[in-house]
Amino acid sequence: MSVEMVNIFQQAEHPVLPKATHDEKARQEFAKSLKGFVQQGLLPGLGMVFQGRVARAFEKTHGRAPADRHDIRRAMVQDLYFQHYAATNRIAQELLWESVIDSIERDLPALNARAAELSAGSRAPLEVDPEFATPRYVTAIDIHCMPGGYAGEVAPGDVSTGALYDRGVYLYAMGYMGPHNDDMGRSVVNWLKRNLPDFAPERILDMGCTVGHSTLPYKEGFPDAEVTGIDVAGPQVRYAHARAAGLGLEVGFLQRNAEATGFPDNHFDLVVSHILLHETSGKAMPAIFRECFRILKPGGVMIHADLPPFDKVDPFAQFILDNETWYNNEPFWGAMREADQIAMAKAAGFPDPRFDTAPMAVMEFAAQTDDYADAAAVADREFTAGEYAPGGGWEILLARKAA
Amino acid sequence: MNAPAAMPQPQKPIRDAKGKRPQFYESPGLDQAMSMILVLASEFSAMRERVDTLERVLEQNGIEAGAAVEAYQPTPEVLTAREQWRQAFLGRLYYLARKDAADAARGDTEARFRDTIESIAES
Repeated sequence: MSVEMVNIFQQAEHPVLPKATHDEKARQEFAKSLKGFVQQGLLPGLGMVFQGRVARAFEKTHGRAPADRHDIRRAMVQDLYFQHYAATNRIAQELLWESVIDSIERDLPALNARAAELSAGSRAPLEVDPEFATPRYVTAIDIHCMPGGYAGEVAPGDVSTGALYDRGVYLYAMGYMGPHNDDMGRSVVNWLKRNLPDFAPERILDMGCTVGHSTLPYKEGFPDAEVTGIDVAGPQVRYAHARAAGLGLEVGFLQRNAEATGFPDNHFDLVVSHILLHETSGKAMPAIFRECFRILKPGGVMIHADLPPFDKVDPFAQFILDNETWYNNEPFWGAMREADQIAMAKAAGFPDPRFDTAPMAVMEFAAQTDDYADAAAVADREFTAGEYAPGGGWEILLARKAA
Repeated sequence: MNAPAAMPQPQKPIRDAKGKRPQFYESPGLDQAMSMILVLASEFSAMRERVDTLERVLEQNGIEAGAAVEAYQPTPEVLTAREQWRQAFLGRLYYLARKDAADAARGDTEARFRDTIESIAES
């Protein structure tokens, strides 16, 4: 990653995106640069430290080589280089949120009013239920160390954690999700158009949509389809609805639980999720697969885009990936990657589930204009655990209900 | 006296994430020291960017600030003032070293500190 590539994509403006002052923006840029430095400047040294001294010390003590990611973790946490890496990565994450909260705090009542006004002008449904039971796997700790978590509210009709997530995701991804943070949705839409060219979904559901980053590409890709996003967090759903309206798209956003959506049987042609499954739980994940099967029409397609399961990468990469569990408030991250997703999808009724890779759409977006010439290099990279953008594409679990 | 009327609380976003923060370093306090260093680095970076913006805004308004800065010749008074500032800054940066030397000069040790506490309690 060259210096230029850190700033390939600036986030696209829209009416509910928090507005930063000069210095707030500079602090946000610093947090983003620090993330980039951790991944490009510190991450590569972890392998050198492990091979060069940590693995040897482990062998001396235990009389054997480290066997799995648990052995590697036990040995690495004692090493000062790893401590600096992990501490700096955590601090970068904290500074990222801190730098955006300043903008939100300065603008909060106006931001909420702006969101309410935009939503009032949209014909697409918005459903938020004050009595909604947000599941414990979302409220027990604040995922990604984002203050307030997905569902935190500080005022009636609050969208502040939605706004925080929107700007935060851009900084976290260092822009690699594109100007609208929508690369995952865009990549899956591209995959569908190429691999199922005759597939013309009439009803599309995006589960765990948060602020609708990945939802909107489905409306753009299938403009005649009825597209709906659901999420368990009220502020995310409100912000998603206002953001879509601000971007000129009418997409419905409802506060619903993916485990029990309340939709009729055989209702959707396509059900998707993007980085949702690892934010759920051991019981919720199979329940979500069963719910997908129930609400899909015969011949309907289920796609869950996430990161690769552990058995697809070596123990050292597993150890790096698992840092998210321990240091970034991702309680289900590790366990989810150990689950047999194929067996789980089969048990839910899908005859032939499989994994595939959806190439990153960011590369194609970049090809449309000379401004983004460096972006191709992002998409061409190999998958590297601990870096944000997976090289090549997104891992998708794909299943189709029998016709 | 009447209790003061409750002031309306301004809407404020949540600042602290739920979930116990891990400790990365063995030495207590080093995690917080590291975060302070990086907050300072963030402020330094923001200030550096503000100066850069300032120069570019001046240039947009016909003042070649970059070139003027390069061509600027400080007077002896300015040189002296800057030198004083740098020495004072370095003094602040190394205040613990100064204190350490002063302790040594006075013969102050941890044992002497404890003895003082005990003797004052008893005297």
